[in-house]
Order: sequence, then C-alpha cells, then structure tokens
Amino acid sequence: MSFSFGTKTPPIALSGEVVVSGLGKSYGATRVLSDVNLVMNEGEVVSVIGPSGAGKSTFLRCLNYLETPTEGTIEIGGARVVAGGKLPDKSSLDRLRRVTGMVFQSFNLFPHLTVMENITLPQRKVLGASKEQAHETANRLLKHVGLPDKANAYPARLSGGQQQRIAIARALALSPKVMLFDEPTSALDPEIGLEVLAVMRDLADEGMTMLVVTHEMHFARDVSDRIMVMGNGGVLEIGPSKQVMSEPQNERTRQFLKAVLDR
Amino acid sequence: MITELLPAIARGVGLTLYVTGASLVIGGVIGLVLVGAARSPFAIVRGIATLYINVVRVIPPITWLFLIYFGLPQFALRLSTIQAAIIGFSIIASAFMAEIYRSGLLSIPDGQREAAHALGLSAVTTVRHIITPQAFRVALPAIATYGIGLLKDSALASTIGVREITYYAQQSAKQTHEGLLSFVVAGALYIVISLVVALVSRQVDLGLRKKIGVA
Repeated sequence: MSFSFGTKTPPIALSGEVVVSGLGKSYGATRVLSDVNLVMNEGEVVSVIGPSGAGKSTFLRCLNYLETPTEGTIEIGGARVVAGGKLPDKSSLDRLRRVTGMVFQSFNLFPHLTVMENITLPQRKVLGASKEQAHETANRLLKHVGLPDKANAYPARLSGGQQQRIAIARALALSPKVMLFDEPTSALDPEIGLEVLAVMRDLADEGMTMLVVTHEMHFARDVSDRIMVMGNGGVLEIGPSKQVMSEPQNERTRQFLKAVLDR
Repeated sequence: MITELLPAIARGVGLTLYVTGASLVIGGVIGLVLVGAARSPFAIVRGIATLYINVVRVIPPITWLFLIYFGLPQFALRLSTIQAAIIGFSIIASAFMAEIYRSGLLSIPDGQREAAHALGLSAVTTVRHIITPQAFRVALPAIATYGIGLLKDSALASTIGVREITYYAQQSAKQTHEGLLSFVVAGALYIVISLVVALVSRQVDLGLRKKIGVA
C-alpha cells in the first residue's frame, strides 16, 4: 500500500464534536469494518466516499447503533459509548440517538402519518414538546426546506425529493448535534437530487455538523470540508476535500476517483 | 311461503352476528397477545405461542365446539350454548388472527423501524404509533376475509343448539317440510351479511389507500 496519511487519528485532536476511535465490526470471522478513526469539529462537514461494499453505510449506521459495532468507542456531542458487540445500556443509547439525526437513502417517512405528524410525533414523544411547540418547530422547518404548504399531505403524495426534504426536517426537529446522511440522493433521479443537495448545502452553511455518505462528488468536493475515502471496511485516506479530489494519496482512491469522475 | 320462512329464519341473524362478532373481537385481542408472544425474546414463550397457533388451527371448528360444550362440563364448568360457541370460535379466531397480524408485521419495511430507532422513539411508541397502524392497514383485507369465513363457520354453532340462522333454517325445514326453500333463505341471509362486510371493508381499504397510497 502506498503512503497514506490520516488514517489514524492524530494524537493532538482528541476532542471534538465527533470522536470515533478504533471502530470495528465483525460477524464472527468476517470483518466488515476495521479500525475507523474520525474526529470532527463542531460545524464540520465530512463526506464519506468509496466503492460499494467499502463499509461506508455500515460505519455511519454504527454511529447511532442501527448496526452494532464490536469494537472501538464513539463520542458524539457528549454522548459516549464503548462498543462491545451488543446494544449499550438504554440511557447511553438514548443519548447517542438524541444527539444524532439520520437521513436515509429511502427516506423512511411514516406513510400513515401526514407530513406534520411525521415531524411532530418524534418531538412530542422524544422531547416531550407540547403540541404548539412541536407545530411551531415543524412549520419553521417546513419553511426551511421549502415545503411550507405540504404540512397536511401524506408522504405518498410527495415526490422523492420532497419526501427527503421532509425527512431532513423531521430529523432536524429534534435538534441533533450531528446529522448523519446515508446516501440521501441515491434513490432520486439526478435533477430531483439537486433540491435535496441544496437543502444540505444550506444546512452546512448554517454550521450543522454533518457526516455524509455520498456518491455526489461535486457535493463532496464543494460543500464538505474533508473527504474520508473508505475501501474494504477501512479508511483509505482522509483529508481536505480539494486535496483528496485532486491529489489522492492512496492508489485505491485514485482508481475509485478515476472511475467516478471519468464517466 | 317465503313471507313466513324469511322472518322465521331471520330471527337467527342476531345470534349469528353476535357469535361471529364477539369471537372476532375476543380472538382479535388474544391474537395480538399471541403475535407478541411469538416474537418474545424468551424461547419458551415463543415456543408456547407457536405451538398454540399451530395446534388450534389444525383442529376442526366443530371438534372445538364439542370439546368445549360437551367436554368442559366434566370439569364442573357448565356453559350456555352461546358461551361455548363464543369461547370455541374465539380460540380458533385468535390463532388465525395471530397469523394475519404476523403477515401484516412482516410487510412493514425495516426502514420504518430504523427510522423510529434513529429518531430515538421508545419501543412502546414505535409499536403503538408506527408499526401497529401500518400493520393493521395491511391486514385489514385479510381480517375481513377471515371474518366472512368465521361467519360461515358460525353455522356450526347450531349443532350445539345456538339459535342462529342455520338453527332456525333446520327448524323451519322440519316444521314446514320446505327443506330447499328454508336453506335457500338461510344461504341468502349469509350472502347478504357477507356482502355488507365485504363492501364496508373495501370502502375502508380504498379510503386508506387513497389517503396514504399503497402501504
């Protein structure tokens, strides 16, 4: 393997909004994720790119325990969990999920609830918000994602791009400290994807800490501060976006970038 | 003739509906408990629920009725015919309803649970507000179909003397010697009730589909 830097966390940066160290996951003898380290400052945007099967989504999903990592530690916004191959105790898990918001490739809005209910139900159940508070927050966020008139619509009545923007609003309504995006535009046609990317760009500009698994190279280069390239369950390299895109250090990264940029 | 037969046999509509409806509701509630037990983290609970569901379904309804009506009194448990019928059909319905709920649950994409987890919703909230309403909507047509099946099975209650439609049809046939017409009337009554049930469930289903799209 050629020279690569930054796959290990530099010892100086041990505090941050997100501190992931030595994160790994195995199913028996099969290792799907190994020794992932990442420190993110508040307001930082990091894109995670790499070929499919690289472990990008697995990594992201370990951060809020949709997947259970088997080793390493996760610290996000003050919540700290040491991985042990099983779910952590309830209060740690709740805290971890409380500080993270997630946006899925397939939106996962609740189809039997209106847009308004999708956004207010979690606020009321998780934050204990009053009906008025929850509505106020929902209306503000709907305006924010450009869909103020869709409050009473059911998800099935909305386009994919609209559904994804609602999903973003739903996650934001819980005031997470870090937003996790798992290929948020992969299920959308390229044109529709742009409206979702625009919302994410705004969010980044407003200082939200974001970790984005994506195949959108323009977004990765232009919006994120750093790019983390994954391959084979590990980190190939991580560095400032423009540098990774223009002078990748790792041979596998070069191959991958050539494949995606040449098409 | 029919003007005499129809009111005579239609006297049984009330008990037919009562036995069917009560069994469907009681069985529906027990079915919920069963489907929960069948997904319990404890192997023994899962085993018992699965055994119950499978044993209950392979015993014919009439055997259940006789078991309960003629069998239970040996343990000094004396039941009215109506009680025996409702208990029997409730037991049977609970097993079938559990299976219907299970297929409803299986139809819900993993993404729904994942979204609920990621949002930090509690297990209770997830089941109550996210999973159950969606599973119910998927299960509704199957529940209606099963309800109509149960309506037909309820005719068996006549064998232990419950005065429902088929019971009165038998009485009329004996008294008037109009065997054919008596049972044609009974059949027609079952058709009418089934149609109403099917129509209502179809309307509800269509309404839900229109609102939320295909669940």
